[in-house]
Amino acid sequence: MSVASTATPQQRSYFDLFEVPRKLWIEMSALEKKFLELSWKLHPDKFVNASAEEQELSLKNSSELNDAYRVLRDPVARVEYLLELEGMRKEGEHKQQAPPELLEEVFELNESLDELREAKASGGDLTSLKSRLESAEKNFQEKLGAVDARLQETAREWDAAIDGNAGGTERKGIMVRLNELLNRRSYIRNLVTNVAKELL
Amino acid sequence: MARTVGIDLGTTNSLVAYMDPQTGLPNCIAGPSGSTLCPSVVSLDPDGSIIVGEPARRRLLTQPERTIYSVKRLMGRGVADIQDELRLFPFRIDPSSKNVIRVQLGNKFFTPPEISAFILRELKNWAEAHFGESVERAVITVPAYFNDAQRQATKDAGKLAGLEVLRLVNEPTAAALAYGLHEKQRGHVAVYDLGGGTFDISVLQLISTSEGDIYQVLSTNGDTHLGGDDIDNLLQAFVHEKILQQHRVDFSPHSELAQELRKDLIAIKHQLSEGESATLRFPLPNGAVYVQEFERGAFEALIRPIVDRTMGPVRQALADAKLKPGEIEEVVLVGGATRTPLIRRTVQEYFDRKPHTELNPDEVVALGAAVQANILDHGVSNMLLLDVTPLSLGIETYGGAVAKVIPRNSTIPASAQEMYTTGVDNQTGIDIHVLQGERELAKDCRSLARFTLKVPPAPAGLPRIEVKFLIDANGILQVGAKDMRTGEQRTIEVQPSYGISDTEIERMLEESIEYAEQDFAERQAIEARTEAETILAATQKALGTPQAASLSAEERAAIDATVAALKESVGGSDYKLIRKRIDELNNATMHLAELVMNSAVSTALQGRKLAEV
Repeated sequence: MSVASTATPQQRSYFDLFEVPRKLWIEMSALEKKFLELSWKLHPDKFVNASAEEQELSLKNSSELNDAYRVLRDPVARVEYLLELEGMRKEGEHKQQAPPELLEEVFELNESLDELREAKASGGDLTSLKSRLESAEKNFQEKLGAVDARLQETAREWDAAIDGNAGGTERKGIMVRLNELLNRRSYIRNLVTNVAKELL
Repeated sequence: MARTVGIDLGTTNSLVAYMDPQTGLPNCIAGPSGSTLCPSVVSLDPDGSIIVGEPARRRLLTQPERTIYSVKRLMGRGVADIQDELRLFPFRIDPSSKNVIRVQLGNKFFTPPEISAFILRELKNWAEAHFGESVERAVITVPAYFNDAQRQATKDAGKLAGLEVLRLVNEPTAAALAYGLHEKQRGHVAVYDLGGGTFDISVLQLISTSEGDIYQVLSTNGDTHLGGDDIDNLLQAFVHEKILQQHRVDFSPHSELAQELRKDLIAIKHQLSEGESATLRFPLPNGAVYVQEFERGAFEALIRPIVDRTMGPVRQALADAKLKPGEIEEVVLVGGATRTPLIRRTVQEYFDRKPHTELNPDEVVALGAAVQANILDHGVSNMLLLDVTPLSLGIETYGGAVAKVIPRNSTIPASAQEMYTTGVDNQTGIDIHVLQGERELAKDCRSLARFTLKVPPAPAGLPRIEVKFLIDANGILQVGAKDMRTGEQRTIEVQPSYGISDTEIERMLEESIEYAEQDFAERQAIEARTEAETILAATQKALGTPQAASLSAEERAAIDATVAALKESVGGSDYKLIRKRIDELNNATMHLAELVMNSAVSTALQGRKLAEV
């Protein structure tokens, strides 16, 4: 049973490694520059003739660097990581539940998916079912776009809170909202992937 | 210091290359036949010795049951994986093989890494003969889309061949390195590599920094079961069917006749890359001759499905790199199969750009491996390669699903930590199943390893064990665990699902000595002795000519003394001493050689004059 996550408290955080503040807006070109600079220093290719201990350390450091870059480069993974780091998000704790206001649409979507699968199995006409699903897919794609926009907005709030040295309660409030948005995003994204798969 | 080389261990041919310190450019090393290509064919002689390369390839026709080709297709794979292969390739598999295949040659059985090791050892010998010193370290290339087990099998082969494998480098990345030196390119590069048995596409970004050039792989994709061999198989099946229809001659795809036909069809394929048509004339056992005219158009229609199969991975690699075809500045073609005009056209049309083909597509991967070998050998360099893992790493969760912990195209080394605990009181073990692949269910992914995490008895949920999965710079998985309550580090014995265990490797290493050629010094001594015999015979002959009478008494005495000294050294095994004595004899006989030579020249001139008159 797996209960947690990439971030363990005693480790140096990915933000520390790249020497950037724990904020959600990161300038990509600066991040890449730092990544390349550190790669020159840490990559195992630089330690082929070194002692076994040094090779081991290079493997640890360069994998950590690559892991950090992978996470910080991706805007969603970055939010997830920040929340894990702040102890606000634990892998496995958040169940994939349909957001209440989406329940009806999700129900209809699942019905259409079932019909499509049946029609595929019995060789029936797929055209009208497919077009219905395509419009549903488009609808959920738009919702995904909306969640991303809200996620971005809330991320800016977080950065402002950091800059303004906001108190713990305010920060926590923002993080709770970020967490909800992440769950919602992951739910909708799964729906879109499932529909896309059936439409292939 | 011993030399470090780059090796392309290919499906059809293998090559060895080194970095020439004088020119700063990589070179391929030729074998005894003068060719840099060593056919990846291994044959077991009835006397028990192993034959590799061109001589083994000839035995495909005369002793197919003792000879194997395309063994790379079997590396790191289990019996269940290769059923398709068995229909098309004359592999004789030990029926008791399970997760590690054993191939029969004559009356003996070998694993694919052992057979690959014979090829590596042959290349090592070529390089040692070239340098006149031993070669102990190598960079070996693998298809970018090779999984963990296939990579581990390649590393094992290197170890069995007596090589320290400094790094496994992905073939398309190696090709980019070779071209980078050649062309000084910048920006986004796509490498399309269709070899004998594998297809890879890699998208790279070339970056100049103040410290030097970085080759960063952005994405890679491919198919480890797609290559020039498949074109040969298609042609063979097509002709086989025709022969059956027209001449009622049916022969087993494993027979000598089938091998003969395959050889002729490969020649037809090569002719169709140059010309517009080619004719096959194939004598049949019943005395008839099967004649088939091939037009390039019809040939291209036949092989188009194979070319089309490469384009799916190409699109996926671009999508993963978040690039459009128009954003690729340079396209590089690698692998012998990319000589096919249809492939060149297809790639050119897709990227709307003329692909690079300046470097020999058979040699370019080995040349790149030599560049990387040189970088690693010297530790410090103004070049750095950042490669990726081609497949996502996942852990099996409830219900047979897979949780991805390291996504594909992550820069390596890469790692992921997972925390584990128990579900019931006093549970003593947690089973962990590691997989590789993109599918969502464990049964559709490639099983890498299963192991049981030992847990001290405690109430459910209390133990906290952190497991670290790490993909190293070779693309090979390492697993470590840490008990978070005690801080105790643990090594985990991971039994690979499709690999050879360390103990088996040790046993094979011992056995491999049985087949290994003599060590370096011994081989050098044999070569020096042969050379000594040649020069002794030549000296004897020269001393018998009338010109020898013109030698002074001192000269004659010096020759006799050095001849005796050389004869004495030949009895020993010190090749350096033999070489020294050869040089001494060469010096002592210089005047004699001149005398004989002048006489021979004047005779030759006289002869010509006579003829001209």
